[in-house]
Amino acid sequence: MRIAKFLLLVLVIAALAFLPARSFAAKETMVYGTTEKVIDMDPANAYDFHTWEIFYNIYQGLLRYPPGKTNLVPGLAKSYAISADGKEYTFKLRKGLKFTDGTPFDAHAVKWSIDRVIALKGDPSWLVTDFVDHVDVVDKDAVKFVLKNPVAYFPSLVASCPYYPVNPKVYPKDKIIRDPSELKGGKLVGLGPYRAVSFKRDQEIVLEVNPNFYGEKPKNDQVVIRYFADATTMRLALEKGEIDFAFKTLNPSDINDLQKSKTIQTIKAQGPYIRYLCFLSDTPPFNEKVLRQAVAAAVNRPKVIEKVFLGQNAPLYSMVPMGMWSHIDAFKTAFGDGNIAKSRELLTSRGYSESKQFAFDLWYTPSHYGDTEVDVAAVLKDQLEATGMMKVNVKSAEWATYRDQWKNKQMPTFLLGWYPDYIDPDNYTAAFAGTAGSRGLGIYFSDPEWDKKFVEGQKETDLKKRTSLYKEIQRMWTNEVPTAPIFQGTLYLFAQTDVQGIMLSPTLQFNYGPIHRK
Amino acid sequence: MGNLSRYVITRVLLTIPMVFILLTTVFVVLRIMPGDPVGTMLGGHAPESVIEKKKEELGLNRPMAIQYVNYLWQVCRLDFGDSMVFKQRVTKAITEKLPATIELTTFGMIITILLGVLLGAYAADKRRSPQDNFIRLYGIVIFCIPVYWLGLMLQLIFGIWLDILPIAGRTGPRVFASTFEKTGFYVLDTILVRDFSALRDVLIHLILPSFTLGMVLSGIFVRLTRANMLDVLKADYILAAEARGLKHRVIVYKHALKNAFIPVLTMFGLQFALLMAGAVLTESTFSWPGMGRLLVERIYLRDYPTIQGVIIMFALIVAMVSLIVDIIYAIVDPRIRY
Amino acid sequence: MRFSPAAGIGLVLSRFMGLGRKYGVEWWILLAGALIVLAILSMALFSGVIAPFNPYNQNTGPQLAPPGGKHLMGTDNLQRDVWSRIVYGSQTILRVAVLAAIISSVFGIILGLISGFWGGIFDRVLSLIMDSIYSFPGLILAIAFAAMLGPGVINITLAVAVIYIPTYFRLVRGQTLSIKEELYVEAARAIGASGPTILWKYIFPNVIATTVVVYTLNIADAIMIEAALTYLGLGLPPDIVDWGMDLAMGKKFLPSGQWWLITFPGAMVSILALGFTMLGEGLAEILNPRLLER
Repeated sequence: MRIAKFLLLVLVIAALAFLPARSFAAKETMVYGTTEKVIDMDPANAYDFHTWEIFYNIYQGLLRYPPGKTNLVPGLAKSYAISADGKEYTFKLRKGLKFTDGTPFDAHAVKWSIDRVIALKGDPSWLVTDFVDHVDVVDKDAVKFVLKNPVAYFPSLVASCPYYPVNPKVYPKDKIIRDPSELKGGKLVGLGPYRAVSFKRDQEIVLEVNPNFYGEKPKNDQVVIRYFADATTMRLALEKGEIDFAFKTLNPSDINDLQKSKTIQTIKAQGPYIRYLCFLSDTPPFNEKVLRQAVAAAVNRPKVIEKVFLGQNAPLYSMVPMGMWSHIDAFKTAFGDGNIAKSRELLTSRGYSESKQFAFDLWYTPSHYGDTEVDVAAVLKDQLEATGMMKVNVKSAEWATYRDQWKNKQMPTFLLGWYPDYIDPDNYTAAFAGTAGSRGLGIYFSDPEWDKKFVEGQKETDLKKRTSLYKEIQRMWTNEVPTAPIFQGTLYLFAQTDVQGIMLSPTLQFNYGPIHRK
Repeated sequence: MGNLSRYVITRVLLTIPMVFILLTTVFVVLRIMPGDPVGTMLGGHAPESVIEKKKEELGLNRPMAIQYVNYLWQVCRLDFGDSMVFKQRVTKAITEKLPATIELTTFGMIITILLGVLLGAYAADKRRSPQDNFIRLYGIVIFCIPVYWLGLMLQLIFGIWLDILPIAGRTGPRVFASTFEKTGFYVLDTILVRDFSALRDVLIHLILPSFTLGMVLSGIFVRLTRANMLDVLKADYILAAEARGLKHRVIVYKHALKNAFIPVLTMFGLQFALLMAGAVLTESTFSWPGMGRLLVERIYLRDYPTIQGVIIMFALIVAMVSLIVDIIYAIVDPRIRY
Repeated sequence: MRFSPAAGIGLVLSRFMGLGRKYGVEWWILLAGALIVLAILSMALFSGVIAPFNPYNQNTGPQLAPPGGKHLMGTDNLQRDVWSRIVYGSQTILRVAVLAAIISSVFGIILGLISGFWGGIFDRVLSLIMDSIYSFPGLILAIAFAAMLGPGVINITLAVAVIYIPTYFRLVRGQTLSIKEELYVEAARAIGASGPTILWKYIFPNVIATTVVVYTLNIADAIMIEAALTYLGLGLPPDIVDWGMDLAMGKKFLPSGQWWLITFPGAMVSILALGFTMLGEGLAEILNPRLLER
């Protein structure tokens, strides 16, 4: 009898399951699918690109990038002036802006926010503390940043997340918030075009238009970010029309299929994201630059892309990404792709041969860069061993262990990827080959000549001089090979055909405002 | 009843050292793990001094013994500290994910028992017939199919080829949990707010994962029920009922099954551990936002506090369930030796 | 009587059928299990002969070719031959599962014998520890151990082995407890045999027989746990061919219709586990028909 009742219950549930689905509200809601994760909820502590992307729509910097562009334009500041020694930046603020609760936005709020970032010592705080000595309030509408040293790319730093002003009446001064519920009012609000009305980690974030925003009103009413645990599901949801667009990160096979789809539009852009091979360059065997060159020569970039990424992404021949000023295809000129002859020649010069092979470990990390990484390592192994003079042992470690190992100099060669902290060639060169940055990434490359060049590049304000300087550094790279660039990520966004106004930018900043349905 | 309550107390007391041993194992295993959780927590670009400071803050530089005592004290208060990777309290992460796991295992269990017990009873009734052999074969084969592969195959067939069922997640992308969520048990929540279209969505998302989980375990229940039914069907009172002319179906599925069910129920306590393990894999395959996925994800990140919390939670749940099952069994079957 | 091959085979066959008649279904289960295990075992032993390609060869044919023609089970995205990878993959999974079962049986049997024979506080504590581990979901424990030890064949073997020690321990301890009370053990004690002698000469041989069945079933389970760990990405380094890992790799091709990448590795895990299970079940029913009833 009990079983009969039970069956009845199951039947009722099954019947309910086939009731018609509710149609959606009249509000223009854009549903955005992604496989990324929100790590952090405080601008003083967030240090990952997805969180920064959301914050870029909730907060606003003194300077900002227009949708889809890489040039800086005024944001909360109307204009700025640089002192003659390049160490003082004075920003004139927009007048009459108010936070949601009516607190006026002024120079004090800017100083308060920067001081907060400095005091809290959050993860990205070095983007402030390494450069800014202190902030002065000039008057209610002007604020002055006094730098430790002249920094040519300071404006692009000011456009980054730790510099966003927050409401002093809402944010706790002495503590990093973990959850919006810890804020007064319980919601993430800033001076940007949107405010977050609901936040469910790993599930969804609902953004609504911020009525107090000073700029152009967004063309939609609401953006809901749906978090997918895997790309497969996201792709299916997109194909079924359940989400309006999907961004980061689909599998190569899915991208291939979706690009062919007639009902889905593809939006493509060069990403600022680069992948490269690192060498532990102060420890045998790779303290010999000839061996580093030999490996770099044997790498066949287009083949990696074809096999692992089914033709997506672009081969990269310099650490400075394509699309950024000063980029040159240095490695293409110096080595080409899969240059077995050159590689064999270099190996022979160090006494290696087919009977006496150069054996070393190649490390990769299996989940941090997605599950294509294992294939990248397998293909590289195959390419290097094609010289007949190398024996490559592929090894892997999860990200936390990986980091430990690079610090402890346990990995002679290893694969890494880079998202920039700020958009400048400095962040793509000094970070790997400058003594300090290089140590932090387990490369341990150090050369006083190079360090001098990097300092020069940071101070120089003339773009022409900087361009030629960074071109020279890129050429030097092919000789010393502290790292070997492999490919640059292409950003793929897929949307329903009636969605308009999506503009991807190489800065990875992504404005939700212009997006709307036809 | 004096006997029973003494049994319950002994059983509860026995659970304590069990949980304690597991807690210790978890602590030791996680401390030996290689990896630099703090560096991971701070992202790729943080300087050494910052990392050291954070380690100090988290107490990772203190002696093991002190860390261990602190850890036990934390567990007693059910406070697992902060996640090392995300700015989040571990307790919060777990309470967010726990309902999803419970919902999945509950539905999985229902399917296991329905499939297992009914098929088992049917096979016993039709002993030595082709149906019986087929069901017995099913019992063996289904148990050897890895749950994640069964999941993938069901996804392939029903999600991709036939394209009739969703293959992942708890709700569709356009059903927003924030509009109905109260307890975290979506089936319950959607009924509470009477949002039946959301309920429908939640239920169809449950179909594939709970079938996957339920089918794999049903094999064991088929065999158990069949064996017990065979014994029961030979019993005198069944023969007597038969002689009295009761309907065969009533005898088998009501009287016999009821008696065969009690031993099956005890096995359930043991099988529950398997159900939990199966849930970890099912959640991974179906991107089910539960504790299993949380565990696997955080292991990649070496997020010690969260891993610790999740495993402890599993340990507590398993201990609790086996305790409850044992007690129920003691109450239901008075023959049990206390 | 002169030996004739035909009569010999006839005799063997009739014995075979006789067994079949005597034990019925169980006999066929045993036979089928043994055949499956033998087939996959020979696959592992003669991989070089059976597999048409090197499992690492990234140039065996077109990318993502469906099964058919030169490629019995198709190719993957790196242009490797799936069938060859399946063949070589059998080595890995068998090695891990069998080795894990050996390790855990050795530890479990020794500890169980000692614990059951001498009893006392040591027995109490050990039983409690074993019971706690036994009651906890094995896979979750293995996940924790595998993560702790890092990838590697030895490491994953250890991670898998740990979770089965209690199984043997409980079985052997129980058997030891009851055999200890048998008359012949009492007799041995009476004539002055030492503890270790009794344990080794009288108890161990009687206990070991019952572990055979558990051993076979244990391998079947270890196979699934091994594949589960590598499926979750916790078990092995990538330059080892493994079914679980191939399954995890193939998962992302699910919606693009490359079904062969997930179907075959998973089916192989199931078949192998099924082979050992059937072998174990068949043995159990024939050796001791009541053993598995409860």
